[in-house]
Amino acid sequence: MKLDAQIPAGPIEKKWDSHKFNLKLVNPNNRRKFDILVVGSGLAGASAAASLGELGYNVKVFTLHDSPRRAHSIAAQGGINAAKNYPNDGDSVWRLFHDTVKGGDYRAREANVYRLAQLSGQIIDHCAAIGVPFAREYGGLLSNRSFGGAQLSRTFYARGQTGQQLLVGAYSAMMRQVAAGTVTVMPRREMVDIVMKGGRARGITVRNLVTGDLEAHSGHAVLLCTGGYANVFYLSTNAASCNVSAIWTAYKKGAGLANPCFTQIHPTCIPRSGEHQSKLTLMSESLRNDGRVWVPKAKGDHRPANEVPEEERDYFLERRYPAFGNLVPRDIASRAAKTVVDSGYGVGRTAQAVYLDFRDSIKRKTEEKIKDEYGNLFDMYYQITDENGYKTPMRIYPAPHYTMGGLWVDYNLMTTIPGLFALGEANFSDHGANRLGASALMQGLADGFFIAPSTVAGYLGATKFEAATTLDREFTDSAKQVQEKVNRIIAIKGHKTPSELHRQLGNVMWNDVGMARSEALLKKALKKIPEIREDFWKDVTVSGADKDFNPTLEKALKVADFLEFAELFVKDALERKESCGGHFREESCTPEGEAKRDDENFSHASVWEYQGEGKEAVLHKEPLAFEHIKMAERSYK
Amino acid sequence: MKGLKHFSVTVRVWRQAGPKEPGKMVSYKVKDVSPDMSFLEMLDVLNDNLLKKGDTPIAFESDCREGICGCCGLVVNGDVHGPDEHSTVCQLHMRRFSDGDVITVEPWRVKSFPVIKDLVVDRSSFDRLIAAGGFISVNTGAAPDANSVPVEKDKAEEAMDAAACIGCGACVASCPNGAAMLFVGAKVSQLALLPQGTPERANRALNMVAAMDKEGFGNCTNEYECEAVCPKDVKVANIARLNREFLLANLFSKK
Amino acid sequence: MDITFIKRFITTSIGRKAVMAVSGLLLGGFMLVHLAENLLLFKGEIFYNGWVDFLLSNPITPFLEAGLLALFLAHIAAGTWVRVEDFLNAPRGYEARKWQGGRTIGSATMLYTAAAILAYLTYHMLTFRFVDHSMGFYQMVTGAFRSPVFVAVYVAGAAALALHLSHGMQSAFQTLGVNHPKYTPLIKLGGLLVALAMIGFALISVYYLAGIDLKSAEAGYQVVIIK
Repeated sequence: MKLDAQIPAGPIEKKWDSHKFNLKLVNPNNRRKFDILVVGSGLAGASAAASLGELGYNVKVFTLHDSPRRAHSIAAQGGINAAKNYPNDGDSVWRLFHDTVKGGDYRAREANVYRLAQLSGQIIDHCAAIGVPFAREYGGLLSNRSFGGAQLSRTFYARGQTGQQLLVGAYSAMMRQVAAGTVTVMPRREMVDIVMKGGRARGITVRNLVTGDLEAHSGHAVLLCTGGYANVFYLSTNAASCNVSAIWTAYKKGAGLANPCFTQIHPTCIPRSGEHQSKLTLMSESLRNDGRVWVPKAKGDHRPANEVPEEERDYFLERRYPAFGNLVPRDIASRAAKTVVDSGYGVGRTAQAVYLDFRDSIKRKTEEKIKDEYGNLFDMYYQITDENGYKTPMRIYPAPHYTMGGLWVDYNLMTTIPGLFALGEANFSDHGANRLGASALMQGLADGFFIAPSTVAGYLGATKFEAATTLDREFTDSAKQVQEKVNRIIAIKGHKTPSELHRQLGNVMWNDVGMARSEALLKKALKKIPEIREDFWKDVTVSGADKDFNPTLEKALKVADFLEFAELFVKDALERKESCGGHFREESCTPEGEAKRDDENFSHASVWEYQGEGKEAVLHKEPLAFEHIKMAERSYK
Repeated sequence: MKGLKHFSVTVRVWRQAGPKEPGKMVSYKVKDVSPDMSFLEMLDVLNDNLLKKGDTPIAFESDCREGICGCCGLVVNGDVHGPDEHSTVCQLHMRRFSDGDVITVEPWRVKSFPVIKDLVVDRSSFDRLIAAGGFISVNTGAAPDANSVPVEKDKAEEAMDAAACIGCGACVASCPNGAAMLFVGAKVSQLALLPQGTPERANRALNMVAAMDKEGFGNCTNEYECEAVCPKDVKVANIARLNREFLLANLFSKK
Repeated sequence: MDITFIKRFITTSIGRKAVMAVSGLLLGGFMLVHLAENLLLFKGEIFYNGWVDFLLSNPITPFLEAGLLALFLAHIAAGTWVRVEDFLNAPRGYEARKWQGGRTIGSATMLYTAAAILAYLTYHMLTFRFVDHSMGFYQMVTGAFRSPVFVAVYVAGAAALALHLSHGMQSAFQTLGVNHPKYTPLIKLGGLLVALAMIGFALISVYYLAGIDLKSAEAGYQVVIIK
């Protein structure tokens, strides 16, 4: 596997422009002769489909949902960053670039991040133009807020539903192309294989989730916009259908998979209440602006929170990080909560939570004010826990939220397989080892609206394609292989449900590969995961028929992939012996227990190459050079 | 501590093997229900038990389980999206029920949302409505600076109120006539309130209403059941705005 | 001249409801005028019959009557169309179904009150319009009002009308696109008042049934004699 990032020459400010100039174009009359297959209809997929459709390509969009508007981008609450500098507080493309690289703990590619910052403003322009109802000031201009501990206000938002509004915006733009005849939406279809011909990605096999039929679709380029894999932890803030299968299929076809262990754990989620739990709900981290995080000073203190006197409370974030206090970045807040809970100070029935207390803010600002700012979050908390956050402190605990790792892509967002592109959370992204709040939406839309339309054209224009139709052997073979896998799963007729096995995997991942990772724990996980996988292939049960609407079978197929992928995840975590961003290795920390990066040995993206069933994956490294940003230690003391 | 006591309920649920198969209500006993469980988690538990017995689990849809994706939608004891006001059924928790309760669970029963299996329905008609005009025709890259078009704050807020729609279909399922006016009204309102959407507002209203009629949704008779069940509290004022947009478009169009 | 746009308009769902709304509002207005006319009964036989003569001899009246008929027919046609379609498209088969508070008694019974009003209207026409008027209108009306059976039917008709208008009036505004946070509550209140006014028809008939006019008429004579 050759890793050529294709970074254009020239000064960083000019790279994207000169690259666009150098990319081949496709004649407008020829565009409709190119079939582009877009898998996934979230922000990245919908925006790519819309833009490519507008240009005149023949686009097919596949989504496993009943409608493209359901993709999980919809759940993003906070906002979208852009270097507009509307508030006049000193923002610039350079600063957003700088903050993103630093926030990612220097594990992202400079040229890509700079382009992201460059495009951020255009995203806002376009989204406003297609009818996204952003928050406004009284003068009618756009409103900004500060988000995720940023020192300036560059986050655009639409109440607490920014993801929904942006997704519906991109979806409408795409539906306009459906009406125009350039885009065809294929709902309730899950991609199960990528079809290669002549060394290029030339199509996909999808399973029709209503009929169970396998369908073949050929094309000139395949765009995977299939999101992240935080559900490898079973419990995460992701939607139930989020999965790793598309990425994993691409990996097995030869695409490099980069930094799989980079996971973001979000600190302010509602803790789990029992075994039955199916997902964790995130509450905006803006809550930490007014809430104080604490646990009782005494271990196993079961008194109701309000009966614990002030001097017996440990405000551990304020104690450990006096300068930033409750506003330390996500990874640091999450780890600190884990540390106190693991040492036996956890609160609530499960003792797997810490308090987020608004008592003092209510005293200072009145309950009315707090209600104005966070009312919907308190309502949500009440609905789920039946507890009144105004009267007793909320209980929170971190949960897996976003995955920075993904398919390795070059500057064109193309994977190591020619013709196979990865956009949005599915690629290894511009966020390095830790994503800043409000940057995921920015990246998904930059990839889809602005980058892919140019780079995919560049690929199409520069490539001589051999003929490929769905009648080719490659397609029929693919369908046959998938069918065999499906038949195998159905034939097992064991005793364990796919959810049960998924939960088992999740427990291992969360306990041993979660917020704090050590060689011993990782090795333990490496032993346990294959056992669960074996168990799956021996003892899983899927009732019902294959040629039917069968959600259990869908789930089983996803769990099968998670069980393979998890092992690579752990290997990657084991291999990266440094602590950086969301990846914390207990062996690599300062005497005070803070994360310690090792730039000498790990300033690279770890790219894994598949070698075949049962063979060890091979690690390749893309070295990361920082020419414009000085590497420094992240300290929030 | 409150809410620790587990209990049992009986779930009477609509089972239908396929779009053309006849369906019927089937009863299941679910034991060991925790009040902290969400309603859908209770169905998950029931499904895992069915699966272990070799039965086919109940097909129902849900994804984000935090009330924003719009996938879920059930009629629980006759309440669209369950008994909680302005919330989706995925946000309903079992503490709303007590030991021995019999809970009736049905799908949306709407002509324009045919049942696919059990509690899963096909809402693709909503996508076709959006494709008929629920967009602003601006190509990527062509937009002026976002701040070059000011939007009155109150109007932006109103547009946001309408845009909060999650496309779950509860409005149609609850409407005595199976009308989709709240869904279409919300989209037409959102885009008519924003200056960006003004140039094509007349065509949008005409085209979306034509598509709505074609899909076989009923006529609105202003009963306002939709507003009462809408999980995002989208108001019927949006229906009035749709009426207004449509009537004015008709009055002043040259065709 | 191409008037297919009219056909196109009334074949859309909102178009035919607009027809229903406009005709409904005008008919509601007519009912208020009708009520005012009925109140003229209290001015006595001479005045009332004089007013009716004026109406009947007026050359505009036949046109008004034709217009009224057209309004009724348009309202009924549009309403029937809407309701037939709704019947075909309505959600069907819910085993348990609870209304969530949007529906009112008025809105839920529109179809039934409409049928009742139509039936009453037919009866009304047969008893007042297409009969021998030689005895004079005042005598005809008050005479009918002294029959308990007639008054019972008349009161039922007025009640159906009131119920129909309790939803219909505000609904018409909504259909025509008038919905405003400041004015809609007033419109709703106004609609209810119009509906309530329909009870006035019933009260007038009960007034005559109870013979209150006879007693006060005697009293009235005495005043005249003393004078």
